[in-house]
Amino acid sequence: MDTTLLQQMLLGALLGISVYLPLRCGQLSLATPGFYAIGGTVAALLSTRIPALGGDGVSYPISSVLLEMALAAMVTGILALGIGKVVLRLRGIYLAISTIALVEILRVVSLNLSFTGGAIGIFGIPQPFASPEGYVGFTSLLLAVVCWLCDRLERTRPGLAMAAIREDELAAASQGINTANTKLLAFVLSALVAGVTGVIAAHFLNSWNARMGNFDASITTLAFVVFGGTRTWLGPVIGGLVLTALPELLRPVGDLRLIVYGLVILMGPVLFPQGVITPERLSRWSRMLRQRLRLEAPTP
Amino acid sequence: MSVSPPAAPLLEFRDLVVRYGSITALQGINIAVHTGELVALLGSNGAGKSTTLRAASRLLPLAQGSIRWHGGDLGRVSTERTVKLGLSHCPEGRRVLGRQSVKDNLELGAWLRKDRAGIKADIDRCYGLFPRLAERRNQLAGSLSGGEQQMLAIARSLMARPTLLMLDEPSLGLAPKLVAEVMTTLRQLNQDGLTILLVEQNANAALAIAHRAYVLEAGRISLEGSAQDLRSNDKLRASYLGA
Repeated sequence: MDTTLLQQMLLGALLGISVYLPLRCGQLSLATPGFYAIGGTVAALLSTRIPALGGDGVSYPISSVLLEMALAAMVTGILALGIGKVVLRLRGIYLAISTIALVEILRVVSLNLSFTGGAIGIFGIPQPFASPEGYVGFTSLLLAVVCWLCDRLERTRPGLAMAAIREDELAAASQGINTANTKLLAFVLSALVAGVTGVIAAHFLNSWNARMGNFDASITTLAFVVFGGTRTWLGPVIGGLVLTALPELLRPVGDLRLIVYGLVILMGPVLFPQGVITPERLSRWSRMLRQRLRLEAPTP
Repeated sequence: MSVSPPAAPLLEFRDLVVRYGSITALQGINIAVHTGELVALLGSNGAGKSTTLRAASRLLPLAQGSIRWHGGDLGRVSTERTVKLGLSHCPEGRRVLGRQSVKDNLELGAWLRKDRAGIKADIDRCYGLFPRLAERRNQLAGSLSGGEQQMLAIARSLMARPTLLMLDEPSLGLAPKLVAEVMTTLRQLNQDGLTILLVEQNANAALAIAHRAYVLEAGRISLEGSAQDLRSNDKLRASYLGA
């Protein structure tokens, strides 16, 4: 497989997790591309405008990338905290609509500011890695860390509170769960993941512009989660990987490619209403795998 | 919270007004629940019964009037805080978490408690109270029957170790035999020292176990008195008891 495609798949998986985090708490937020765009803009600005970070047009230190990630996380986190306090008072489709509006506002603002390069964007973002393999390694590591944190989250009190809110917000509230703060936490975590992902994407793509976070991206990233499933973190990861790869892998079928892609997205929810990955299916697969291994093991 | 005179009711609604936008759901109601009592709040659909409970557990903003707990004002208190104070709300329609096990649902009820040993003991106490839940402890709550889900909802509310339990229509959608079973359990809990505010449409069932009752009609208290008096009240018999 093409390493460039692999890198895009990994970025897709990270964005899938970003959409998944609020959904774990029952909140349909489509703000992910907005925070992704902010993360990328932070990286593009810092690495091209501040020589002290070590960008010499050819190489770029990884420590500076980490610094950008920290700063992007801070910016997106604070923004999500402020916006979340307001928009999370909305529910369901109204929350979705207002987060789409947020993404559009950010896009139009970025399009009209001179320091973000306006419609042209920012070019010549320095490369911390000489080859796509370097990016794949770094992004895989980041994805692994994010997945591990999500897995931890699902077992801790905030994670349990999110699951309870998703099942029944009133029931959760009447047992004493602070639903407003829990939803805000999920929204901020989602923004952090998107912002950090934007940093890597900006370096990888070499240029960054206002079109990186738009309505299309909102829908595409939502499809990752709908396809993969919203019950465990593995769902959006698989959804992001598969649905990013699919249009490329379908190139041989020519013009039919988008039709087939659309069919897959459409058939996903029909055949797997809860997404391809559910906890029940995972435990069934692991049982089957263990059985298979036991059968193959030589009897002493 | 201020030190209150001994006569202050455990929970008191004073001239409480609650609005949903421009619609006034409660038009200044007065209800008092004293420690040890089992008080029923009766009324038909849309009378404002659930609104009263939701206001007390601070899930709704108050327009006018006040809600008092041991004489102290609950007006600016969060839902979290009411649960900590000992006010547990078992919402209408059971609302158990269907994709979680019976045990997980019970643990959710103890959300604000930190005493692991106490929580474990109380889970066992709930299993003693509702043996059918014990048999199904690892089953998903969504797979339980309606009656079992109602028992789970009550047990979950008990897990917060409340001083006052507010129940919203526990008889809803249950077969008559199960209604009787639930009511017997509530009377038992009350006799063991739990104060209960019971919202019901099933006036017969509620008046059979309550000490006192209030009747809500279109956001106002239209009748109140001892359960015995209300059982023989002609107006109530005509409208709710079907006699």
